Amino acid sequence: MFAIRRPLRLKFAINSSRTFATASTPYVPPASLEIVADAPPPQFRSRKKTKPESPSFYTSRASYYDHLYQLETALQRCRRAISTLELLPLPAFARASLPPAQLLWRNRQSMMTMFSGSLTTARYRRMISVLADLEECSRIASAAGHTALAESIQPVLELFERQDKETVLARTVRKQVPMDRYGRSYTVGKRKESAARVWMIPVREPAPVTLSSDVLPSHSPRAQDVDILAPVVDNAFAPSPSASRMPVTTTTILVNNIPLNKYFDSPADRERIVRPLKLAGVLGTFNAFVIVRGGGTTGQAGAIAHGIAQGIVAHVPEVDHILRKAKLIKRDPRMVERKKTGLAKARKRYTWVKR
Amino acid sequence: MAAFCAQRTRIATVLRHARRPFTSVADGSESRLLSQDDWTAFQVHRAERSTLVDLFSNFGSTQSRDNTWQPHHPLHRPTASRDLTLSALLAAGAHLGHHSSLLNPNFIPYAYGTRAGITVIDLDRTLPHLRRAASLVRAVASRDGTIVFVGTRSDLRPTVLKAAQRIGSQGYHIAEKWLPGTLTNKVHFFGPEVTLSERVVPDLVIFLNPIPNLHAIRECAIEHVPTIGIVDSNVDPRIVMYPIPANDESTRTAELIAGVLSIAGREGVEIAAERAQKRARSARSMAKHRTLKVD
Repeated sequence: MFAIRRPLRLKFAINSSRTFATASTPYVPPASLEIVADAPPPQFRSRKKTKPESPSFYTSRASYYDHLYQLETALQRCRRAISTLELLPLPAFARASLPPAQLLWRNRQSMMTMFSGSLTTARYRRMISVLADLEECSRIASAAGHTALAESIQPVLELFERQDKETVLARTVRKQVPMDRYGRSYTVGKRKESAARVWMIPVREPAPVTLSSDVLPSHSPRAQDVDILAPVVDNAFAPSPSASRMPVTTTTILVNNIPLNKYFDSPADRERIVRPLKLAGVLGTFNAFVIVRGGGTTGQAGAIAHGIAQGIVAHVPEVDHILRKAKLIKRDPRMVERKKTGLAKARKRYTWVKR
Repeated sequence: MAAFCAQRTRIATVLRHARRPFTSVADGSESRLLSQDDWTAFQVHRAERSTLVDLFSNFGSTQSRDNTWQPHHPLHRPTASRDLTLSALLAAGAHLGHHSSLLNPNFIPYAYGTRAGITVIDLDRTLPHLRRAASLVRAVASRDGTIVFVGTRSDLRPTVLKAAQRIGSQGYHIAEKWLPGTLTNKVHFFGPEVTLSERVVPDLVIFLNPIPNLHAIRECAIEHVPTIGIVDSNVDPRIVMYPIPANDESTRTAELIAGVLSIAGREGVEIAAERAQKRARSARSMAKHRTLKVD
């Protein structure tokens, strides 16, 4: 009665009637047996219409994307070439040795004329970043001496650079102040309504002064007897032993042919004038002759300081960045603000009255 | 715990330095490269290290860069549809769907099962779908049809560019956003002259990531353009005409599929060229025959 029971069909048992894609005799549906390739092309296609030329046609910004993808391909190739020359990846110390980049690309409006259609800021920035990477490759190649590779990249970059790149770069080069035949610099400084004309000349180095032994008092202690902790003051007015090693030069600053301390009573004004010399560490190096006109004491002091700072830079270009950081090279643009109608002064308002 | 953390940071520091072995100049000092000779010395030192590595590569393992699979192969060395195997699909991760909670009920026929919470896609059904799509691409290309590859993720960009390039003048790509209205508002986008003189509506569109491009799929349906698309387990396969059930998040899978389809497209172009040549030859022989008969 109980014949051999069929084994329970387990839920996860493999269905033996499945067909697999990699079977020995593949099943081909009848419709596919027709040789489709030999069928004639459809009649409704208008033969007059041409295919769009650019592969980026359906992005609706074909010109832009074609340029962008070509630049990215060029960048890939340059990077591969530079990697074979063992110049990529470039470590930090080598990267710091590269000359600084001078990137002056066309602005967004100018680039828009290159591509048909509008150019959004995001797309413009993307283009610029790819160009900057290409320019970096060119800079690395030229720094390492591979001028051929750098020169092959340049024409591609020049297409996207500003037309007036040279004039813009020339503007950043600071005008050299010429020295006259005596080695004097002539600079002009301004502040408020004052203008100062400053001539500066370096002081000639004096011969080192050596003190003879009879100048020193006889009872002065010798070097080996000196106890460094004990205060030794024999004569307050005697020259110190170190005087021979450090000659102090005295310099003159004449303002309208009057010495500085007589022309400016206020110590603040004097400090203002001497500050650029102190910051540059050239306090005893230059004599200055100044003609100043216009304004009051503060304005004239500021104008002289401006002129002296520029004069120092003319003689010692290395201190340029120190004085620039201290805001002594830049002409202070603050001027007296005009009085306005309805106000008592430039900003002072008349008392507000409720009624 | 503190000792363990210290050890981990030490190991991390060692690994960080090991990953960049050529950081310093020959004498070990990291000084600036001021002259041309400094740069040359820097390059020479690095080249010496590279030659040493190459020299010792000849000993040891017989597996080298040339005879092993490299990640750039699916992009630059695609397979034809007739050579495609299940193992290749599996290796590319085409069988990994999304979490089972996101399974679209219409996708169930293409699902093999669940494992580790995710839906496993049945590759036995993927392969014939892919081969059918490939033969469609081949047929469209052989009849002078325009084919557009759409892959709007950044990692799909090189795939889509290369696939369009492989087909030639009939291949197009969209590697950035599909602007809505490209097909339904074509006169505004391309201008009336271009719309009248050029074939603006494509003959086939292939989507490597259909989910962010549903507007594009809808436009293709409105304009009666056949579509092929990689459908994942969270997608209704009926959105495209010829779905390829596979993992849409894997770059390798997309490269494999786009490669197969672009190879088929290239074959279609070659078929069309051969057919044109045959027709030209037969036309010439017919003309010769006619002149002989007249004589």
